[in-house]
Amino acid sequence: MTDHRPEINLRSVVRGAAFVPSLVLLAALVVIWAATGAGYFWPRWPALGLAIPTALWFAVRRARLRYTGATRWYATQAGVSVVLVCTCVAVWWFSGDSFFWPVFPFVALSALLALNPLAFRPGQRKLELRVDELTRTRSGALDVQASELRRIERDLHDGAQARLVALSMQLGRAEERLADHPDTAALVRQAREEATAAIRELRDLARGIAPPVLADRGLVAAVESLATRSTIDVEVVGQLDHRLPPVVEAAAYFVVAESLTNVAKHAPGASAVVTLHLDGAMLVVEIADNGPGGANTAGGGLTGLKQRVEALDGRLEVHSVAREGTVVWAVLPCE
Amino acid sequence: MGRAAMRVVVVEDQALLREGMVALLAENEIEVVAQAGDGPGLLRIVDGHKPDLAICDVRLPPTFTDEGIRAALEARRRHPDLAVLVLSAYVEPVYTAELLAAGQSGVGYLLKERVSEVRTFVDSVKRVAGGGTALDREVVSALIADRNRSGDGAELAALTPRERETLELIAQGRTNAAIAREMVVTLGAVEKHVSNIFTKLNLPAGDDDHRRVLAVLAYLRATGGQ
Repeated sequence: MTDHRPEINLRSVVRGAAFVPSLVLLAALVVIWAATGAGYFWPRWPALGLAIPTALWFAVRRARLRYTGATRWYATQAGVSVVLVCTCVAVWWFSGDSFFWPVFPFVALSALLALNPLAFRPGQRKLELRVDELTRTRSGALDVQASELRRIERDLHDGAQARLVALSMQLGRAEERLADHPDTAALVRQAREEATAAIRELRDLARGIAPPVLADRGLVAAVESLATRSTIDVEVVGQLDHRLPPVVEAAAYFVVAESLTNVAKHAPGASAVVTLHLDGAMLVVEIADNGPGGANTAGGGLTGLKQRVEALDGRLEVHSVAREGTVVWAVLPCE
Repeated sequence: MGRAAMRVVVVEDQALLREGMVALLAENEIEVVAQAGDGPGLLRIVDGHKPDLAICDVRLPPTFTDEGIRAALEARRRHPDLAVLVLSAYVEPVYTAELLAAGQSGVGYLLKERVSEVRTFVDSVKRVAGGGTALDREVVSALIADRNRSGDGAELAALTPRERETLELIAQGRTNAAIAREMVVTLGAVEKHVSNIFTKLNLPAGDDDHRRVLAVLAYLRATGGQ
């Protein structure tokens, strides 16, 4: 479900523990060497034998942790080459040869490294920089968009809507003074009712852009508000003990809103359960209904939601089985 | 002049609305003793003027989120006799729950545009200042919808459309006279609806208006929801 990798830490602990028997073994060999007259220091050879796999493991691990994609293979090759050259140097030194023969493997491995097609692909590095840049600017753009939407919502309430409320209030006062002119009063009342209808439309519009309760009270309160407004029976299960980034809250909110709208539209008799919980640094949102199922999972609304979630590096899946209901499941990273 | 001795403060950050509301209240012989434009201002004028009623907007500076609700609840904590009428550009169940949890007497929660229905609004102001309740019809229909869906909607389904309408008006805090005016029926017809509702929902018959509102609200809120 999530791809955190705690097992790497676990593995390194296990490997760390594996060094201990190696060291014990070496110490035992040194003792034997000392006990047998401390002549030629032969335990250096088993020490080298044990050191090679350890060094290889570190080289591969470093490449895996620090690099991704094709660069990882290049880093692995480089690391293994360094270990091999060091091994040759150690063997040369232990055996006391006068001619420095490790220069040959050194040249050969360097040539192989240089021949690696990656070394001739400056585009690779450029691509990586570009991906970094795009990731950064995308999340920046999404943050800006979220706060812009909230500003628009606030402007609608404090600007146009406030003016309309003031207008309708003045019309109401005028209506009160026209008690003696019922025809004119009726006209003014109609105008007031029009203003009230405009206020209601603006409110719905503002809620569709950025629901104020989401900004004020967070995701759970906003989802509960959706549940209350829905025409179907909705149960909300979830407790988030802290606020999430605005973009994540907004995406999760609209996933729930769209899903509940779909249930109400396609399975009006059904009921739904909305579950919200944090799994590590991931927000998991699930909307399950007991409707007839068999939903078209490639629908326009769902595609829009999927794009919205994927823009945040999240995932959205829809499982709809005939006669078993539909489950919309989304997971959103929230660092 | 027979002027009511009711003392009201108005807290609204938009000068246009605030002044309009003060004028509207003055025309209806309700005295606004002080005005403010933000949450801390609400607490200051309530502490200073000891009004009967504070009318405030939910969204106020400095935070422009739910400053008004928080300030109103705090003011009520400091002055338990203070009636609070909260006006908002939108209705949210979470605010309804918080306001009603702060005590169900002298509490109002209305959409801002209700101010334009002058007579009804002035009724609400007077009722809340007198310890009554005024809930927006949207708040009430949300409560009823919640109750309806929570499994035991059968009792509500047993109500006739007219009784249901009456129930909604009771939950909004209206008096029998106001209900009769709104539904364009006689007072006697309203009383009959009310007694039918109380029988069908198994509610204790309340003789005074306010207890009756509380019974209906307690019934509607007796769900797992808000």
